Amino acid sequence: MDSDKYLAAVLDSQNLPEESVELEQLRTHRAEVEALLKREFGKARIRYGGSKAKGTLIRDAYDLDIMCYFDHDDTTAGKTLKDIYGSVQAVLAKHYNVQPKTSALRLRSKDTSTLGQDFHIDVVPGRYVDESDGDCFIYQNSGEKERLKTNLDVHIQHVKDSGVLDAIRLLKLWKVRRSLRIKQFVFELLVIKLLKEKKPASLAAQLKHVWQELRDATEPQSVEDPANPGGNDLSKVLDAATWSELSSAARSTLNSIELLGWEQVYGPNVKVSAEDRTGKLRAAAAAVVTPTKAWCRNA
Amino acid sequence: MRIPWHRANPSLLARLENDVRGPYPDLRVVVENECVHLRGSFPIVSDGLTLDRYQIDVCIPNDFPDAVPTLREIGGRVPWVLNRHVNGKGEACPVVPEEWLLNPKRDSVLCFLNGPVRDFLLAQSLVEAGDPWPFSWRAHGIDGLYQAYGEILGTTDPACIRRYLQYLSKERIKGHWECPCGSGNKLRNCHLNEVRTLQMKIPTNVAKRALQRLGQDGQQA
Repeated sequence: MDSDKYLAAVLDSQNLPEESVELEQLRTHRAEVEALLKREFGKARIRYGGSKAKGTLIRDAYDLDIMCYFDHDDTTAGKTLKDIYGSVQAVLAKHYNVQPKTSALRLRSKDTSTLGQDFHIDVVPGRYVDESDGDCFIYQNSGEKERLKTNLDVHIQHVKDSGVLDAIRLLKLWKVRRSLRIKQFVFELLVIKLLKEKKPASLAAQLKHVWQELRDATEPQSVEDPANPGGNDLSKVLDAATWSELSSAARSTLNSIELLGWEQVYGPNVKVSAEDRTGKLRAAAAAVVTPTKAWCRNA
Repeated sequence: MRIPWHRANPSLLARLENDVRGPYPDLRVVVENECVHLRGSFPIVSDGLTLDRYQIDVCIPNDFPDAVPTLREIGGRVPWVLNRHVNGKGEACPVVPEEWLLNPKRDSVLCFLNGPVRDFLLAQSLVEAGDPWPFSWRAHGIDGLYQAYGEILGTTDPACIRRYLQYLSKERIKGHWECPCGSGNKLRNCHLNEVRTLQMKIPTNVAKRALQRLGQDGQQA
């Protein structure tokens, strides 16, 4: 199979159909979270973002961003952005195990039977800048600035219209599988920038180009937030340490392709039905000669 | 204080990267706060097919291989519950640590990945699919420790297990000491040979760790 056909098959395996268990569960949790936020903050406006909205969803890492935005003059959740972030966090914490991120609140299960399970939902509290309901300020609990100006529609459109969605999805998969620590949106901006002149190229050529750029540039490349060009300083997100991590992973990936081919990057691409998969898992377990005995220490 | 293994011999880091890269190309070696982690996607492969994947973090302690790596499933798939062998802090317990420390392959991270980590995640996939845990397992908490240590020592009596571990954690054992079996006889007239054999099998640091763990889990139980 040539590399582009292989990559297309990888992309295909990363699709999540609307009727998939994962997306059904996501919709159920979304409805619960939205109802909770509406109940506690009647005037809050709920919007959806994340990979599904942008068209960059992959099976290995599917997320939904729920924006909980307040009008510019609404102080019901607090006067400052920090207050709003805190109020929304407190409300969510009654029902969920909340993991605070830089601007978002990640939701995990608090239920004793599913404790710690990820709901794949980030709630992002914020406040509209003015009556136009476009730009929004969100709180940042780390970094120099406490607030960040953003615009959901601009972000979604910027990625959707990039013309390189397939490359973004495959590079996201590469990033996720290697647990590379770079904010997804900044990574998408970087990929879009690096592929600006490479849109007609094949998918394999696009990916190789991005990895070559990551490998060869000694200094982090700068990216601009389309929602606030010149305003939001993303250099802290794409700092030297992050760049070095990306660069090293890119070097290793290019070497792997050179020596062993694309399968070393995204794995063998053989479809296994759910039924077959369970049978094969059982066979794999039966083939373990001396399995280790799991235990559980008291927490 | 002991120098972390990766600082004492930096070439070991490169060797670890090389060892892991082939079978687990998505696992990256990350040094964070002086600790070495393997982080990324772990595939469950069987007959050349990737049947499942988990995002994991394996922390290789600074006193490795005298201590066991810790495993976390970081993708949020496996709940932090006892019957999935994950404690309330999200730390997986794929094996009683001292059982692994007695394994001749304990100093190979790759063997830890191929053994305890793979078995643990393979079992998680089957449980997710509705099957029971496919392997036998240890009871939770201190009872599981007694099971494991008892099998190693050849006894099931908790008091006896503790006494054996106390003797095995000492550098020298004297024949006039009371036998740990609880008979009241002197060791030289009772189980001295067995204790000597166990001494060959169980290093003092492992016995000390086992005693320490019994103390910790006993308090928390």
